[in-house]
This record gives sequence, C-alpha cells and structure tokens, in this order.
Amino acid sequence: MIAMVPLHLSHFQSLLLFAVIISLAFGTLGRRDPLERLKYAAWSFAMFVLVAVALGWLMYSVSR
Amino acid sequence: MLDDAIESKTANEAASVTGAENVDPAAPVHGVPPQKVHSGHTTAYDFRAIAIAITGWILPGFGHALLRMWGRAVTVFLAVGFLVYLGAGMRGNLFAPGGEDAFARLGYAADLGTGSFYFIARRLETSGADVSHADGDYGTRFLATAGVLNLLAALHAYEAARRRKA
Repeated sequence: MIAMVPLHLSHFQSLLLFAVIISLAFGTLGRRDPLERLKYAAWSFAMFVLVAVALGWLMYSVSR
Repeated sequence: MLDDAIESKTANEAASVTGAENVDPAAPVHGVPPQKVHSGHTTAYDFRAIAIAITGWILPGFGHALLRMWGRAVTVFLAVGFLVYLGAGMRGNLFAPGGEDAFARLGYAADLGTGSFYFIARRLETSGADVSHADGDYGTRFLATAGVLNLLAALHAYEAARRRKA
C-alpha cells in the first residue's frame, strides 16, 4: 500500500494547487486547439486566484 | 473528432451517389432529415455513449481513452488522481454511505463521483479525517471536487460519443 504522507499546506498554497489542477482540466476539456487550451487554462487560473483573494479581502473587511 | 469525420463521410458518400458536390453534412439527404438516415445506428450510439460514460466514471479518463482522446484522458486521470491524493493527504472527510443528514449524503454522492478512486482514498486515509484544522477542511473540498470533476468528464465523454461535442 502507498504510505500516505500528511500534507500541511497554507491557505494560499491550497488555493494555488486547487486552481492549477482545475484550470488545466477545464482547459483540456473545454477547448480543442492546444493554444486555446493554454489560454483558457491561464484565464481560469487567474480568475480563480483573483476572485478568491478579492472575496477574502471582502470578508476580512466585514469580519472586523 | 473521429465521429465528426464519420458524419461527414456518410454525408459525402450520399452526395457521391447523387452526383452532388459540396453537400452540407447537416443538410437533408434525399429529402430525409439526417437523424432519419442514421436512425438504425441511434440505439447503438446511445448504448455506446452510456457505456463510455459509465467506464469514464468508474476509472477517471477511461471514457476519453476509449474515444482515443488521449490528452483529455491523461489530464482527467491525473487531475482526479491528484485531487484525491491531496484530499486524503490533507485528511479530508471522505463521506461514508448512510449519512445522517442531507449534507452527508450529498458529500457521499460527490465523493463517489471519483469512481474507483473513492475506494483507493479510503485505503489511503488510514488515520481518518481531521477537520479540526483548515487542512482537513480543504481536503474535504478537494475530494468532493475530484468527484464532481470526474462526473463532468464522464458527461463530456458521453456528449463526445453522441457526437454533440468534440
């Protein structure tokens, strides 16, 4: 059996990993042309990160 | 892609019989709508598409591999595999059948979306879930996302097999 290594990631590292994996999958499934795939994946990744950071700051301002 | 070529070939063969040139594949052949021309194959295509979707759900990426969409097959397999591995490594909550509330049942449905990887994750997560820390909470989301992504990929393979998407 594969030994499971416990992972301890920060919030931002988790966000980046999640965004990279999902963006690549979206790009590959959503487009046919390799360049279009890359563009779509980059756009998805940027949107994931930007929206998450923006929402984080928005919630931070409300929480205080 | 492959199926699009089959569609075009069928229409062009019909055009060559009638002597017509540059026939639109979507145009009626002999005054019969295209779906009538392929009506004999419809059930076979439906069965094949459902079988491809189910195999894609059981083993992530295998549905696309059957359609010879290798890039998509590898990407889906690796994406779902990484998400499951990371989710289990972060000690996310892998929901079991027979949940007490709607959220637990919904979580189980999402986790089960990973197909065979659900059982691998159960074997990997020997020390159980720990959602008292942010890591475990993120791990739960990673596992659920892996399931939903695999279901989306299986639906994509189904649509591709039905020649609605390539």
